[in-house]
Amino acid sequence: MSPGIEQLFFGIAAVVATVSSMLVVTRRNPIYSAMFLIVMFAAVSVIFMLLDATFLGFMQLLVYAGAIMVLYLFVIMLINPREGDLPEESGATEKSFAAGVSLLIFSMLSFAISHSNEVERLSALGSIPLLPEVSDSHGTIRAFGLELFHNHLLVFELTSILILVGIIGAVHLASRRKNNVPHNLTNAAEGVVSQDV
Amino acid sequence: MFSLPTLLYLSAFLFSVGIYGVLARRNILVVLMSLELMLNAVNIALVSFGRVHALTAFSGEHGGQIFTLMVLAVAAAEASIGLSLLLVIWRRWRSIDLRQLCQLNG
Repeated sequence: MSPGIEQLFFGIAAVVATVSSMLVVTRRNPIYSAMFLIVMFAAVSVIFMLLDATFLGFMQLLVYAGAIMVLYLFVIMLINPREGDLPEESGATEKSFAAGVSLLIFSMLSFAISHSNEVERLSALGSIPLLPEVSDSHGTIRAFGLELFHNHLLVFELTSILILVGIIGAVHLASRRKNNVPHNLTNAAEGVVSQDV
Repeated sequence: MFSLPTLLYLSAFLFSVGIYGVLARRNILVVLMSLELMLNAVNIALVSFGRVHALTAFSGEHGGQIFTLMVLAVAAAEASIGLSLLLVIWRRWRSIDLRQLCQLNG
């Protein structure tokens, strides 16, 4: 692909990711947040593919936009929050505090990026499509898998244990037990409590 | 435009948006989604650094991408555990409001 096209696609993907990430955190209804999060994952997957991480881009689509977001949508569907169930959002004070903290962190990160010798040295070489020439097989499932199972086998196995623990934990937590009766701690609506999930 | 600093700025921006979501929202679902957003921001930085260092990195040509795959697995485990905790909270209190869970009272 010619560098111009790559620039164009990167620009589109970056703008889409930026806008949809801001929409994720500002929408009141969680369904809209989930939809914009899917858009954001797709944009990030485009960026991965432009960075020659083809396999990882597809994994991003499959695992994030496919599996994880379907899990979120199932949970939203299961609890089916009505307009009254949605929590009252934070006031202006809390929102401006949160905005201040995130702005502070963004400015610290930007300062670090703009003053880093390493980043300057690397970016002096030119834009990313001009950076180190790798073989055509870079980022393909074959090259990726060979390196994963040769050099990083232990990490891979440990990840499988992590996933196993995740499965067991999720099944244990979400399973319904007889003595797990809902009780009102605060102002849960009286009539809704008997209704089943 | 498509250069290392741009990618890092994009990653930093997405990370800060995620922090805003975690701090400002009261809906547990949206807070969990903001966590996914932050993990994704870190993934962008990892993949772009891995691409830039592809031929010189100690961890091999695909080091950054393999790290990202591990983050993907952690994100999947985190999402499943977090959402089942959310289900338990919903069954007990019929609420997805974080501010109602600040009393450490089962």
